[in-house]
Amino acid sequence: MKITENIDDNICNLSLDGKLDAYHSIELEKCINKVILRGCINLLLNFQGVDYISSSGLRVVLSSLKQLKKSGGKIILSNLRPYVMEVFEISGFKQIFEIYESEEEALKSFKV
Amino acid sequence: MITIELLLDLVEKICVILVIAYIITRTKIFHEVIDNKFSVKNMAFIILVFGALSIFGTYSGITINGSMGNVRDLGPMIAGLVGGPVAGLGAGLIGGLYRYFFLGGITTFPCSLSTILAGLFAGIIYVLNKRKFIGIIGAVLFAAFMESFHMVLVLLLAKPYPEAFAIAQELSIPMIASNALGMLIFAYFITNLTKERKTTKERDEYFDELQRKKYELQIAHEIQESFLPQEMPNLDGYDIFALNLPAKEVGGDFYDFIPISKDKIGVTIADVSGKSVPAALFMAVSRTILRAKAMGNSNAAKVIEDANKLIAEDSDTGMFVTLFYAILDLKNKTMEYVNAGHNNPVLFIRKTGSMECLSAKGIALGAIDAIELEEKKVDLQSGDVIVFYTDGVTEAINDKEEFFGQKRLYKLIKSHSDLNAEGIVNTIKKAVVSFSQSQSQFDDITLMVIKVN
Repeated sequence: MKITENIDDNICNLSLDGKLDAYHSIELEKCINKVILRGCINLLLNFQGVDYISSSGLRVVLSSLKQLKKSGGKIILSNLRPYVMEVFEISGFKQIFEIYESEEEALKSFKV
Repeated sequence: MITIELLLDLVEKICVILVIAYIITRTKIFHEVIDNKFSVKNMAFIILVFGALSIFGTYSGITINGSMGNVRDLGPMIAGLVGGPVAGLGAGLIGGLYRYFFLGGITTFPCSLSTILAGLFAGIIYVLNKRKFIGIIGAVLFAAFMESFHMVLVLLLAKPYPEAFAIAQELSIPMIASNALGMLIFAYFITNLTKERKTTKERDEYFDELQRKKYELQIAHEIQESFLPQEMPNLDGYDIFALNLPAKEVGGDFYDFIPISKDKIGVTIADVSGKSVPAALFMAVSRTILRAKAMGNSNAAKVIEDANKLIAEDSDTGMFVTLFYAILDLKNKTMEYVNAGHNNPVLFIRKTGSMECLSAKGIALGAIDAIELEEKKVDLQSGDVIVFYTDGVTEAINDKEEFFGQKRLYKLIKSHSDLNAEGIVNTIKKAVVSFSQSQSQFDDITLMVIKVN
């Protein structure tokens, strides 16, 4: 799992690359926890490079959503590939996450 | 010529010293000293052993005007560099006093003093380096410096000066070179020893971790197993069979049969997020909550929505469970169902030979506090087959990194719909296992088949 971090305008943009399976999800969880601990509450996850997500991966994004909601923050997802999108659809997570097709749209929604 | 011979003699002497030094570095006491455990016993050991080495180092090759080229300073320097000022000074005093009382010559005083100071300075370096060995380069530079200083002492303190000068001229290069070389090899021993000990420690830690992990997996497996039904229900007009093939790292899949009334039975298949003990525990909790809510209650959507409230309260870490729940009406041959984010089961309709995906709008349990589930109903007829599964089936991977996928699964069901429930389950299991033969089974494989007689 490669995670590229980019902070701009108080929004932390994490570009993910790799498989979000049981093993690699731990890396993402650690990374997100670090970001939240630093006080960043606006998180954008770019899934462009993610071709697989397991329930462990979903757990990490869900736990981030729960944490950020508590502190009045937001988590937005963008660039989901068809397979990943399907997983979000089946599990019903599509209903609880803000998901955008592109990073630009996602960034705009933070400003609203 | 004489200088080279002297150097060779010294090197020979050093070799003996190094063999002894090497053996010392393998002792438990020396390891304790490296770990900064300075008991009286340890200190006495270091002082005596390196003091003895110092005496041994005194007797080297060639005597010039009653003075010997020697590696006497080496023992105290090592003692000081690894054991501090007390060890260095102690070993230095042994070597130095021996030189003072048992050997003569005009350099007696400067040479004795130099040995004592070598141990003391080495000890001070140890303290200044935060009570750690200074490392190879530092140790060698120190040895070279110390022997140069030794020669300066000879020039300053030995009388008469011309003889002292002759001795210094003859001895300085062999002594600086041989002591530095001896120190180089010894420092190399110590750094190797330190590295080796670090590696051993890391290996032991890794091994412990592995043991713990193995134990955890076993616990997870036992929890999961103890919460699965021990036997299949015996139903009039229906044939049911289910199977759970846990992955090495247990994933927390489960299935269950819940009695509702004389003519109704609840059936469920579920997949908990994550792996190992957390997943197994969450599975146990979810299954218990579901049972408590479902027994005697024939409203499928209400049962699962209520169960979700309880599960969500317990899920701060983002744990969730995808679950398909159906209530089978045995008498009227219908099935009411809700789907909380689980893979859609599939219904094979015998009459038409078609497959129907049992989808319904919903969301995984534990994700949000309040959910609304769409409830659907299907009619069942003789020969129909319903296959419930978890993603361990469709996401089994072969060595080309392809998923087993829905297509293969559907095809298999269609072509084996004549078998009984157990036969269909085993056929699918075999196909999935052989598909992913070369890959280790990554996720639990859970299957349940209901066949209408």
